[in-house]
Order: sequence, then structure tokens, then C-alpha cells
Amino acid sequence: MWSGTIGFSLVAIPVQFVKAVDSGRVSFRMLHSKDYSPLVRRMFCPEEKRIVQPEEIIRGYEIAPDKYILVSDEELESVSPERSRRIEIIEFIDLNEVDPIYFDRPYYLMPSKGGEKAYRLLAEVMAKTHRAGIAKFVLREREYLVALMSTGEALALITLHYDDEILRDEDLVTNEKFEAEEKNRMKKTIGKMMAGFNPEKYSDSRREKILDLIEKKRKEKSLVEAPKVEEEEGEGPADLIAALKESMSKVKKNR
Amino acid sequence: VSKKVVEIEGKRLTLSNLEKILYPSYSFTKADVLHYYHRISSFILPHLRDRALTFKRYPEGAESEFFFEKRCPSHSPAWVKKAEISLNNKERMRVCVVNDPGTLLWAANLASLELHVPMGRTTSPEIADSMVFDLDPGKGADLLNCVRVALILRELLSHMHLSACVKSSGKKGLHLFVPLNDKNTTFDETKRFSRAAAEIMQKNYPNLVTSKMPKEFRKDKVFINWSQNDSSKTMVSVYSLRAGEQPTVSCPLSWQELEDAGEERNPEKLRFVASDVVRRAEEKGDLFRDMLSQSQKLPHM
Repeated sequence: MWSGTIGFSLVAIPVQFVKAVDSGRVSFRMLHSKDYSPLVRRMFCPEEKRIVQPEEIIRGYEIAPDKYILVSDEELESVSPERSRRIEIIEFIDLNEVDPIYFDRPYYLMPSKGGEKAYRLLAEVMAKTHRAGIAKFVLREREYLVALMSTGEALALITLHYDDEILRDEDLVTNEKFEAEEKNRMKKTIGKMMAGFNPEKYSDSRREKILDLIEKKRKEKSLVEAPKVEEEEGEGPADLIAALKESMSKVKKNR
Repeated sequence: VSKKVVEIEGKRLTLSNLEKILYPSYSFTKADVLHYYHRISSFILPHLRDRALTFKRYPEGAESEFFFEKRCPSHSPAWVKKAEISLNNKERMRVCVVNDPGTLLWAANLASLELHVPMGRTTSPEIADSMVFDLDPGKGADLLNCVRVALILRELLSHMHLSACVKSSGKKGLHLFVPLNDKNTTFDETKRFSRAAAEIMQKNYPNLVTSKMPKEFRKDKVFINWSQNDSSKTMVSVYSLRAGEQPTVSCPLSWQELEDAGEERNPEKLRFVASDVVRRAEEKGDLFRDMLSQSQKLPHM
């Protein structure tokens, strides 16, 4: 995971990234129904009807059907931001001002050695004042806009969507006028249903059912085994293996 | 002991024990064996040409003990063509090559019912002029299973732009041969290719095929023996007799015959004895002729 420094004014706090969200998705491997081999994705050229090796693959930006501008790795590299180990806070804002639609992915920041005291101080003051820091930082090739905020004890970082990524809601806006009575009725209905925000009350019931199902099947020992791959993948040239697989899929289609 | 001196293309040859029954269940004598090889000689010789012959000799008949003889016997007539080959890059060995009818009958006269040859020629022993898939049914599997495997394999190869010839083993299996004749293909390549093909067959037809040698993997399955693609290995030659109860022959087959036998579920249609094979060859010509002329290159090697 990433490690670096939060910086603003004369402050520098060494921190580390920690995952804040674990996707609730139950992920499945795609297997071949015949022998339970885990399947792999391959790039396929429909023109030559064969699998294309990574070294033969380049990037094209589609400007019209079948018309592309080629962009090389070097060209992409030349416009990529310089790597940096610093989360530079540009400004502080009031957290209430942030439209949640901008929020993308959350992470926790953990203080690294020597940064504990400054970290706690920043977390406490930001929580009390309900402030968030807006910062830019580079992860891999991309430059991210992030909001640094406090959970009270700890600092969290949420990557934000850039403004031009947000689709406008103009189409939804109308100038309809409502009667006072109508509005009051709506307010009352909402008022009756008010509660605190307790997300723990809710869970993804489909996910739980899937996990229960898997656990039940595991206890029944109804599992299948993929064939041992041995050294066979490395045995023939990758090209040959790919061409054989490709040919085999044609054979099976005809049968 | 009966003897008969014959002259074949100016070569004198003494044939012995002609009335000896070599296939007891079929009353097929040594004279019959010699007669068969004589009749089939123009078909078998181009396939044996310049290949180191391994004699599989059955001195007491096809249902008794046999031995392999790789070296050219010291008592061989002077006109039998010999070649020097090296065994495992070390030991030199003098072998016989069967390039003429006289040598063929001389070999048959030694009760070498079966003639086995490598996929390379003595002039270039490390070059494979064909690639073989030896389809061997394990216990519980039969010739019809081999037919299915052969037809799938043929289709797989055709998608790789390779055509193949097929022959019966003369026993329970089938031999699928891919002619190469390109003067460059090594056994390392034919082995890697055939192994990868066998393994993908096993992956896709796990209940029908195994690419593994050990007996326990072969039960109810067809073993695709890819390891025959080695300069030190031999296969029984096309048109060679096989030992057994009947004087069956490793007989070239047409793909249509394979399809028909598969559809009718009749493996008997693929079993031919010596007399059938002579008749077939005279009617149909050499169904293995592509092995001699067709040049193909293994792709992706």
C-alpha cells in the first residue's frame, strides 16, 4: 500500500494508506463446464481469427468507426504526472459543502513512525471544526483529487470525482410549483419516518444468501477439482498452446 | 526342412521353413507371410525406404515369444543395404534399411512378422518427416473410442492447417500420422507439438482421452501416446503384418471409413487381414501416399 506524507504550510505528517472498504461482492471464477479448469481471458483478433500476444497489442483512440489515433506507451508516459510521495493540501473547506456525488473511494490513513502526534492533532481539530482538506496526489499514473477528513480519531481520505466527470442533472429540473398543503403533507410523512443513520441495520441479503449457500455446499463436500496443470502450460510455446485452444474451441463448436 | 532358392531383382535368397504355421489359429504359414510381403512390396517399400528397420521376430509363430532386433544381423547377405546410426549420440550401430523387394523378403524370412521403423530416415535421423499420434485404448476402451479420438484430432489439426493420414494399428488402436517432409522439423518439435495437442485433447475430453502413460490413467480411456515422437522410437510400419491370432495388418484407412465405422459402431470394418489389404491396395492405391509427398510445417514452433 502507498505511503508518503500529508503536507500543508509547515506541517508534514508521514502516513500510510489502509483499505477502508472491502467490496461486498461475492466473486466467482469462471470455469470450463467440462473439466472445471479456470478460464483465462485472451485478446482475440477477429480478422486473423487467432489469439494475439501482449507484445503485439498497441493503443488506439477511436475517433470514428474504424479510425484510430495511435498513442504509444512513451507518449502516455510523457503526459503522466510526476510521481510524488506527498499529499499536498491545497485548501481547507467546510465538509457540509461537499456534494456526496463527488465521493469515489475511501481509504484510511495510518500515522507512520514519528508522525503520530501531528496526526492526532490534525484529526481532532478537523473533526471539531468539521473541516476537510482538499489535496492532489499521484497514485500510479493518475493524479487524484482527494478530500482528507477526520473520523474523529483517525484520518480518512476519499478520492473525488473531477468536476467534469459528474453528469449534470439539468434534465431532471422542472419549474413546477407546489401547494403549501402538498408540501406539508410530504414533510409530515418524512418526519414520521425519521431515524438516526444506522447503516449496520442493513445488509446485502443476496450476498448473505450466496455465502450461506456456499457454506452449505462446502459442508456437503460438493466440490469439484480443476485438473492439475503440471508444467504443461510452459511445455509448448505459448503461441502454440493458444492456437491449439483456439482450434479446439472451433472443433467443439462444430460438434 | 524345406528350402527354396528364389531370385528377386538379381538377388539370390534362400527361403526356409515355408510350410511352418506362423498364425496357428488361422493356419497362416510362413509361405503365406512371404507371399503377402511380396504382393504388398511396391506399396510398403516407399514407406520403409532409408529407415532403420527394427525386426520384431516371432520364430515360433505369432502367438509365441518374440524378440526385437535393431542391429543388422551379421549373417545378412552382402546385398542388404546397411546404414550406421548412432544410438543416443554415443554407441554406433549398424542397421538394415529395406529399400528393395529382396531385402523385404529376406527380413520376412527371418520370421520378422512385424516391421518397425522410426519417423526419421538414416540419412537424417534427427529430422522427423512425420509426427505421430499413437492412439492406444486402455482397459475398458476400444477401437471405436480411438475412432472418436482420431476424428476429433483430425479436425483439431485441420484448424491448424495440418492434414493427417490414419491407419489401423492392426491390433486395437489407431495411428494418426501428420506428414511433414519439410527437412527441418526436429523430434523436439514434433514431441512438443504432439504433447500439447494430446494435453488439450485430454483437457477437453477428459472422459475419453488421457495423455498420461501410467496404466491407472488409461482405464476406459484412449491414451494418446505423443512420446513416440522421438528419434529413438519406432512405430510399426504401414502395411506391416501384426502378430496375434489373425494375420492382421497395420492398414491405411480413409477418413470416410473411420466416419462410417464410427456411425455404424462397427469396429470390424476397420480390421483387415493380409489378403484384404492386398486387394484394397490394388483397388484403392496407397492411402498413405501423402506420407511420402506432402510437405507441411508445424505452425507456432
